[in-house]
Amino acid sequence: MNKILAIAIMILLTGCSIGGEKRIKIFSVEEPRQKLDYPMPTALQLEELKWIIITSKNAEEVFAKLEEAGIDPVLFGLTDKDYQVLARNFAQIRQKLQETNNLLEEYKKYYEPKEKE
Amino acid sequence: MAIAIMLITGIAGAGIYVMKLRADNATLKANQFKLETAITEQNKVLEQQKKDFTAILESNKKLNVLINTFKKDLQDLDKRFTKKDRDIGKLAIDRTGAIERIINKGGKNAARCIELASGAEHTEAELKATLKSEINPECPALANPNFVEYQ
Repeated sequence: MNKILAIAIMILLTGCSIGGEKRIKIFSVEEPRQKLDYPMPTALQLEELKWIIITSKNAEEVFAKLEEAGIDPVLFGLTDKDYQVLARNFAQIRQKLQETNNLLEEYKKYYEPKEKE
Repeated sequence: MAIAIMLITGIAGAGIYVMKLRADNATLKANQFKLETAITEQNKVLEQQKKDFTAILESNKKLNVLINTFKKDLQDLDKRFTKKDRDIGKLAIDRTGAIERIINKGGKNAARCIELASGAEHTEAELKATLKSEINPECPALANPNFVEYQ
Protein backbone atom coordinates (compact mmCIF):
# COMPACT_ATOMS: atom_id res chain seq x y z
CA MET A 1 0.00 0.00 0.00
CA ASN A 2 2.83 2.33 0.93
CA LYS A 3 4.59 1.60 -2.33
CA ILE A 4 1.49 2.46 -4.29
CA LEU A 5 1.09 5.65 -2.33
CA ALA A 6 4.71 6.56 -2.94
CA ILE A 7 4.36 5.92 -6.68
CA ALA A 8 1.15 7.97 -6.80
CA ILE A 9 2.82 10.88 -4.97
CA MET A 10 5.83 10.69 -7.32
CA ILE A 11 3.58 10.82 -10.33
CA LEU A 12 1.63 13.75 -8.92
CA LEU A 13 4.78 15.69 -8.10
CA THR A 14 6.52 15.10 -11.41
CA GLY A 15 3.36 15.41 -13.48
CA CYS A 16 3.64 19.20 -13.73
CA SER A 17 7.10 18.99 -15.16
CA ILE A 18 6.18 16.65 -18.01
CA GLY A 19 6.43 18.62 -21.22
CA GLY A 20 6.81 21.81 -19.21
CA GLU A 21 10.38 22.73 -20.02
CA LYS A 22 10.71 26.34 -20.94
CA ARG A 23 11.88 27.04 -24.43
CA ILE A 24 14.67 29.44 -25.15
CA LYS A 25 13.48 32.35 -27.23
CA ILE A 26 15.94 34.01 -29.54
CA PHE A 27 15.09 37.48 -30.74
CA SER A 28 16.77 38.82 -33.83
CA VAL A 29 16.45 42.57 -34.19
CA GLU A 30 17.52 43.92 -37.54
CA GLU A 31 19.77 46.90 -37.07
CA PRO A 32 19.54 49.12 -40.17
CA ARG A 33 22.79 50.22 -41.76
CA GLN A 34 23.85 53.73 -40.89
CA LYS A 35 23.01 56.32 -43.50
CA LEU A 36 25.95 57.68 -45.45
CA ASP A 37 24.16 61.00 -45.72
CA TYR A 38 26.73 62.90 -47.75
CA PRO A 39 25.68 66.42 -48.64
CA MET A 40 25.14 67.04 -52.33
CA PRO A 41 28.25 68.39 -54.11
CA THR A 42 28.70 72.14 -54.03
CA ALA A 43 27.44 73.87 -57.15
CA LEU A 44 29.98 75.29 -59.57
CA GLN A 45 30.50 79.00 -59.94
CA LEU A 46 32.14 79.59 -63.27
CA GLU A 47 34.12 82.65 -64.23
CA GLU A 48 33.05 84.65 -67.22
CA LEU A 49 35.21 84.63 -70.30
CA LYS A 50 35.12 86.73 -73.42
CA TRP A 51 35.22 85.43 -76.94
CA ILE A 52 36.90 87.56 -79.57
CA ILE A 53 36.20 86.92 -83.22
CA ILE A 54 39.17 87.62 -85.37
CA THR A 55 39.00 87.71 -89.17
CA SER A 56 41.52 88.73 -91.80
CA LYS A 57 39.77 92.10 -91.93
CA ASN A 58 39.75 93.01 -88.23
CA ALA A 59 42.95 91.26 -87.09
CA GLU A 60 45.08 94.40 -86.88
CA GLU A 61 42.33 96.31 -85.07
CA VAL A 62 41.83 93.51 -82.56
CA PHE A 63 45.54 93.24 -81.74
CA ALA A 64 45.83 97.02 -81.47
CA LYS A 65 42.92 97.05 -79.00
CA LEU A 66 44.53 94.31 -76.95
CA GLU A 67 47.78 96.25 -76.75
CA GLU A 68 45.90 99.40 -75.79
CA ALA A 69 44.23 97.52 -72.97
CA GLY A 70 47.59 96.22 -71.78
CA ILE A 71 46.79 92.65 -72.74
CA ASP A 72 49.40 90.49 -74.47
CA PRO A 73 48.61 90.64 -78.19
CA VAL A 74 48.14 86.95 -78.54
CA LEU A 75 44.98 84.91 -79.10
CA PHE A 76 44.31 81.20 -78.85
CA GLY A 77 42.23 80.41 -81.88
CA LEU A 78 39.60 78.01 -83.06
CA THR A 79 38.08 77.66 -86.51
CA ASP A 80 34.32 78.04 -86.82
CA LYS A 81 33.98 74.24 -87.09
CA ASP A 82 36.07 73.66 -83.99
CA TYR A 83 34.04 76.26 -82.12
CA GLN A 84 30.94 74.18 -82.90
CA VAL A 85 32.73 71.06 -81.68
CA LEU A 86 33.70 72.86 -78.47
CA ALA A 87 30.10 73.98 -77.94
CA ARG A 88 28.87 70.41 -78.43
CA ASN A 89 31.54 69.02 -76.12
CA PHE A 90 30.60 71.46 -73.37
CA ALA A 91 26.92 70.62 -73.84
CA GLN A 92 27.77 66.93 -73.41
CA ILE A 93 29.86 67.59 -70.30
CA ARG A 94 26.99 69.60 -68.84
CA GLN A 95 24.54 66.82 -69.63
CA LYS A 96 26.76 64.20 -68.04
CA LEU A 97 27.07 66.40 -64.95
CA GLN A 98 23.32 66.79 -64.79
CA GLU A 99 22.76 63.08 -65.30
CA THR A 100 25.25 62.14 -62.57
CA ASN A 101 23.78 64.63 -60.13
CA ASN A 102 20.32 63.36 -60.92
CA LEU A 103 21.37 59.76 -60.37
CA LEU A 104 22.92 60.71 -57.05
CA GLU A 105 19.70 62.42 -55.99
CA GLU A 106 17.63 59.40 -57.01
CA TYR A 107 19.91 57.02 -55.13
CA LYS A 108 19.70 59.22 -52.05
CA LYS A 109 15.92 59.38 -52.31
CA TYR A 110 15.68 55.61 -52.71
CA TYR A 111 18.20 54.39 -50.18
CA GLU A 112 18.15 57.25 -47.69
CA PRO A 113 14.57 58.51 -47.65
CA LYS A 114 13.70 61.27 -45.25
CA GLU A 115 11.56 60.26 -42.28
CA LYS A 116 8.41 61.77 -43.80
CA GLU A 117 8.66 59.70 -47.00
CA MET B 1 -6.78 -3.24 -3.31
CA ALA B 2 -6.61 -3.71 -7.08
CA ILE B 3 -9.44 -1.26 -7.49
CA ALA B 4 -7.56 1.32 -5.44
CA ILE B 5 -4.43 0.89 -7.58
CA MET B 6 -6.46 1.20 -10.77
CA LEU B 7 -8.21 4.27 -9.40
CA ILE B 8 -5.01 6.02 -8.42
CA THR B 9 -3.30 5.12 -11.70
CA GLY B 10 -6.34 6.27 -13.59
CA ILE B 11 -6.42 9.62 -11.79
CA ALA B 12 -2.68 10.08 -12.31
CA GLY B 13 -2.98 9.18 -15.98
CA ALA B 14 -5.86 11.59 -16.42
CA GLY B 15 -3.83 14.30 -14.71
CA ILE B 16 -0.87 13.70 -16.99
CA TYR B 17 -3.11 13.68 -20.03
CA VAL B 18 -4.72 16.97 -19.04
CA MET B 19 -1.31 18.50 -18.52
CA LYS B 20 -0.17 17.25 -21.90
CA LEU B 21 -3.26 18.76 -23.45
CA ARG B 22 -2.51 22.07 -21.76
CA ALA B 23 1.06 21.99 -23.01
CA ASP B 24 -0.14 21.16 -26.52
CA ASN B 25 -2.64 23.96 -26.32
CA ALA B 26 0.04 26.42 -25.28
CA THR B 27 2.30 25.26 -28.11
CA LEU B 28 -0.52 25.58 -30.63
CA LYS B 29 -1.34 29.06 -29.36
CA ALA B 30 2.29 30.06 -29.67
CA ASN B 31 2.43 28.59 -33.18
CA GLN B 32 -0.74 30.43 -34.14
CA PHE B 33 0.72 33.69 -32.86
CA LYS B 34 3.95 33.08 -34.77
CA LEU B 35 2.06 32.32 -37.97
CA GLU B 36 -0.06 35.43 -37.62
CA THR B 37 3.05 37.53 -37.00
CA ALA B 38 4.75 35.94 -40.01
CA ILE B 39 1.75 36.74 -42.22
CA THR B 40 1.73 40.37 -41.03
CA GLU B 41 5.45 40.62 -41.68
CA GLN B 42 5.09 39.07 -45.11
CA ASN B 43 2.32 41.52 -45.93
CA LYS B 44 4.55 44.37 -44.83
CA VAL B 45 7.38 43.08 -47.00
CA LEU B 46 5.04 42.76 -49.99
CA GLU B 47 3.75 46.27 -49.45
CA GLN B 48 7.30 47.62 -49.21
CA GLN B 49 8.23 45.75 -52.39
CA LYS B 50 5.27 47.30 -54.15
CA LYS B 51 6.36 50.76 -53.00
CA ASP B 52 9.93 50.04 -54.12
CA PHE B 53 8.82 48.93 -57.58
CA THR B 54 6.72 52.08 -57.97
CA ALA B 55 9.67 54.22 -56.88
CA ILE B 56 12.00 52.43 -59.31
CA LEU B 57 9.54 52.87 -62.17
CA GLU B 58 9.11 56.56 -61.39
CA SER B 59 12.84 57.05 -61.17
CA ASN B 60 13.41 55.29 -64.50
CA LYS B 61 10.72 57.39 -66.10
CA LYS B 62 12.33 60.56 -64.79
CA LEU B 63 15.75 59.56 -66.11
CA ASN B 64 14.33 58.65 -69.51
CA VAL B 65 12.66 62.06 -69.74
CA LEU B 66 15.97 63.65 -68.81
CA ILE B 67 17.91 61.70 -71.45
CA ASN B 68 15.35 62.66 -74.09
CA THR B 69 15.75 66.29 -73.06
CA PHE B 70 19.52 65.92 -73.55
CA LYS B 71 19.04 64.65 -77.08
CA LYS B 72 16.72 67.53 -77.89
CA ASP B 73 19.14 70.09 -76.42
CA LEU B 74 21.97 68.77 -78.60
CA GLN B 75 19.74 68.79 -81.67
CA ASP B 76 18.73 72.38 -80.90
CA LEU B 77 22.38 73.34 -80.54
CA ASP B 78 23.19 71.81 -83.94
CA LYS B 79 20.18 73.59 -85.43
CA ARG B 80 21.43 76.93 -84.18
CA PHE B 81 24.69 76.43 -86.06
CA THR B 82 23.29 74.92 -89.26
CA LYS B 83 19.70 76.21 -89.54
CA LYS B 84 18.82 77.07 -93.17
CA ASP B 85 22.35 76.24 -94.38
CA ARG B 86 23.71 78.74 -91.91
CA ASP B 87 27.51 79.01 -91.95
CA ILE B 88 28.67 80.55 -88.72
CA GLY B 89 32.13 81.22 -90.17
CA LYS B 90 30.80 83.26 -93.07
CA LEU B 91 28.39 85.08 -90.79
CA ALA B 92 31.27 85.97 -88.47
CA ILE B 93 33.21 87.45 -91.38
CA ASP B 94 30.23 89.51 -92.56
CA ARG B 95 28.86 90.58 -89.18
CA THR B 96 31.80 90.19 -86.82
CA GLY B 97 30.52 92.44 -84.02
CA ALA B 98 27.02 90.94 -83.94
CA ILE B 99 28.24 87.34 -83.98
CA GLU B 100 30.79 88.13 -81.27
CA ARG B 101 27.98 89.44 -79.06
CA ILE B 102 25.83 86.39 -79.81
CA ILE B 103 28.69 84.00 -79.07
CA ASN B 104 29.55 85.73 -75.82
CA LYS B 105 25.93 85.65 -74.74
CA GLY B 106 25.71 81.98 -75.72
CA GLY B 107 28.89 81.23 -73.78
CA LYS B 108 27.50 82.96 -70.72
CA ASN B 109 24.25 81.00 -71.01
CA ALA B 110 26.13 77.74 -71.49
CA ALA B 111 28.23 78.45 -68.39
CA ARG B 112 25.06 79.11 -66.42
CA CYS B 113 23.70 75.76 -67.65
CA ILE B 114 26.80 74.03 -66.26
CA GLU B 115 26.32 75.78 -62.91
CA LEU B 116 22.70 74.66 -62.79
CA ALA B 117 23.62 71.11 -63.80
CA SER B 118 26.08 71.01 -60.93
CA GLY B 119 23.26 71.83 -58.51
CA ALA B 120 23.15 75.65 -58.37
CA GLU B 121 19.89 77.23 -57.22
CA HIS B 122 17.67 78.87 -59.83
CA THR B 123 17.28 82.62 -59.74
CA GLU B 124 13.83 84.21 -59.50
CA ALA B 125 14.08 85.37 -63.11
CA GLU B 126 14.92 81.86 -64.31
CA LEU B 127 11.97 80.39 -62.46
CA LYS B 128 9.56 83.06 -63.66
CA ALA B 129 10.65 82.90 -67.30
CA THR B 130 7.78 81.75 -69.50
CA LEU B 131 8.51 83.65 -72.71
CA LYS B 132 11.03 82.62 -75.34
CA SER B 133 12.77 85.98 -74.95
CA GLU B 134 13.29 85.35 -71.23
CA ILE B 135 14.69 81.84 -71.29
CA ASN B 136 18.17 80.40 -71.46
CA PRO B 137 18.10 78.86 -74.95
CA GLU B 138 21.11 76.65 -74.23
CA CYS B 139 19.20 74.49 -71.75
CA PRO B 140 15.59 75.68 -71.31
CA ALA B 141 14.41 72.45 -69.66
CA LEU B 142 17.06 72.80 -66.99
CA ALA B 143 17.19 76.55 -66.56
CA ASN B 144 13.54 77.50 -66.97
CA PRO B 145 11.28 74.80 -65.55
CA ASN B 146 8.14 76.90 -66.06
CA PHE B 147 8.75 77.52 -69.74
CA VAL B 148 6.50 75.48 -72.02
CA GLU B 149 7.67 75.41 -75.58
CA TYR B 150 5.03 76.20 -78.16
CA GLN B 151 4.78 73.24 -80.57
